[in-house]
Amino acid sequence: MSLSDRYVIETHGLSKTYKEIQALSSLDLKVNHNSIFGFLGPNGAGKTTTIKLLLGLTRPTAGSATIFGMDSVSHSVEIRARIGYLPQEPHFYEYMTARETLRFTAQFFFKGPKKAIEQRVDEMLALVDLDDKADRPIKTFSGGERQRLGIAQAQVNYPDLLILDEPAASLDPLGRRDVLEVMSKLRKYATIFYSTHILDDVQRVSDTVVILNQGKLVAQGPIEELLAGSEGVIYIVHLKGDVDAALKILQSQPWVGAVKATQHNEGSVFQVSVTDPAAAEAQLLKLLVNGPVVVTDFHRKQYELEDVFMQVVEGGQNVGQ
Amino acid sequence: MSGNEAFELVTERGWTRGLGNMLRSGLARWFKTRSWWANCLIWGGMVLVIIGALAFNPQAPDVNELMMVTLVFTGLFPAVGVIILMQDAIVGEKREGTAAWVLSKPLTRPALILSKVIANSLGVLLTMVIVPCAIGFTIIAITHPAMLVPVGVLEAMGVIFINHLFFLSLTMMLGTFFDSRAPVVGIPLAILFLQQNLIGVLPALRFILPWSLIIPLGTTNPLTLTLLEGTAPQSEQLTILLIIVIESIFFTLMALWRFNRQEF
Repeated sequence: MSLSDRYVIETHGLSKTYKEIQALSSLDLKVNHNSIFGFLGPNGAGKTTTIKLLLGLTRPTAGSATIFGMDSVSHSVEIRARIGYLPQEPHFYEYMTARETLRFTAQFFFKGPKKAIEQRVDEMLALVDLDDKADRPIKTFSGGERQRLGIAQAQVNYPDLLILDEPAASLDPLGRRDVLEVMSKLRKYATIFYSTHILDDVQRVSDTVVILNQGKLVAQGPIEELLAGSEGVIYIVHLKGDVDAALKILQSQPWVGAVKATQHNEGSVFQVSVTDPAAAEAQLLKLLVNGPVVVTDFHRKQYELEDVFMQVVEGGQNVGQ
Repeated sequence: MSGNEAFELVTERGWTRGLGNMLRSGLARWFKTRSWWANCLIWGGMVLVIIGALAFNPQAPDVNELMMVTLVFTGLFPAVGVIILMQDAIVGEKREGTAAWVLSKPLTRPALILSKVIANSLGVLLTMVIVPCAIGFTIIAITHPAMLVPVGVLEAMGVIFINHLFFLSLTMMLGTFFDSRAPVVGIPLAILFLQQNLIGVLPALRFILPWSLIIPLGTTNPLTLTLLEGTAPQSEQLTILLIIVIESIFFTLMALWRFNRQEF
């Protein structure tokens, strides 16, 4: 497998400027096959701009993007034949019904046979629970129903790449859960590239995450790597007893980077940054338990995606690149 | 796209990709909704009421006047309808986001524009040319038998269609240049109703404006009336007709060029 076969999407210095505004600045992305790729960022970070560039709806000011190894500008139609796309705010022809919309979408990909197209349309309607509203005009649909129809039309061609722009934004918690389930099921067949600002969803289903801020990539990597945090591995230890002696013991260890001690109720809390996680795992607790203190709590610091997100977006740090 | 073995895939390449599907959808918008009969009712009904009232009146105007009134109600007023319908064709799709949605599918931009031109031309041809002209000229044929030449009627209908095509393609082109509805509808309406004054100020403008195809210019009969009377058109009338056709093609090409550069 060559490198270009390995990646579904690759961008090199992809940039977009609208008049004086730099919407996207030199974006380098690599999206693996069959991954669920979460594309995060605050409003105006450049997520939708990136998606539009990938779909050929806008042209890059600089840089390039390849999808399935094809250039996103010169082979846009061939690329779109293998993609399913859900816009942030799905808009359809209001005079059509849900069934007609799915049939219309399917006919961009399939000439026939008619029976197979109708079966696929029925399958998609059932997938998003719109079978009972299939023949109602779209103009009578609620926001959530439109969103579900959007998800159905994006999958009608069983795409190799599904691009979803804020797929769960206007859904209730049950709808959101269903969308995440559908995404997880589809991983076997397709690569899913989706933008969102719902961090919980990303943490639940994504395997790779990119964080954009003000048009720039500020963090990229497998989710476990990002959740490990940019500060490295930190252990949190709650202890009582001769805290100063315990501190000296720890500071003398070659695998301890720094120890931050704070008072907490009747005891102290150590935040121990380690440079060698394996050595720390094997020795840290043993050293303390055999020392002059009583350990009341001991755990490795776990980051939530929200911590990482706030850190990189507010702190302007670059992580995992 | 695994799981699609049961389907015959669209493999079309080049600028026509997606044209058939968009065209089917555009025609369905005209002919599978109330659009076609509503327009037939408006334009055909207007001609039926006005021409019927005039023709069956004991003090009916002469046949030439009847034909002129019919031309005004089939050539001039439906052009307003064409402009109003077409202002939504591109600007509406851009503003509502449906253009971005269909362009995220394997559809080329020229195919989208051409599907709009073709589907709307056919809709306009039936509802704003064939139906009202058939009603108007049938009434005249009943009240004044042997005054109309059938071939002339068909030719006049063709000229009326070209007049509508001028405004259809102009409005469409403007829709690709502007994102706001005001100039897209305002400019063609201004041209439609100010043509006579503009030609009065600068007579050479008669060659590039479709006014003289439908309405008399001074003492000169419009091309449509000449054809209805079965007389041979003058070379100037045919030149104007040719220029209007060329302009319509030019507007369509400009729309294609501009839409290709549009960002969504």
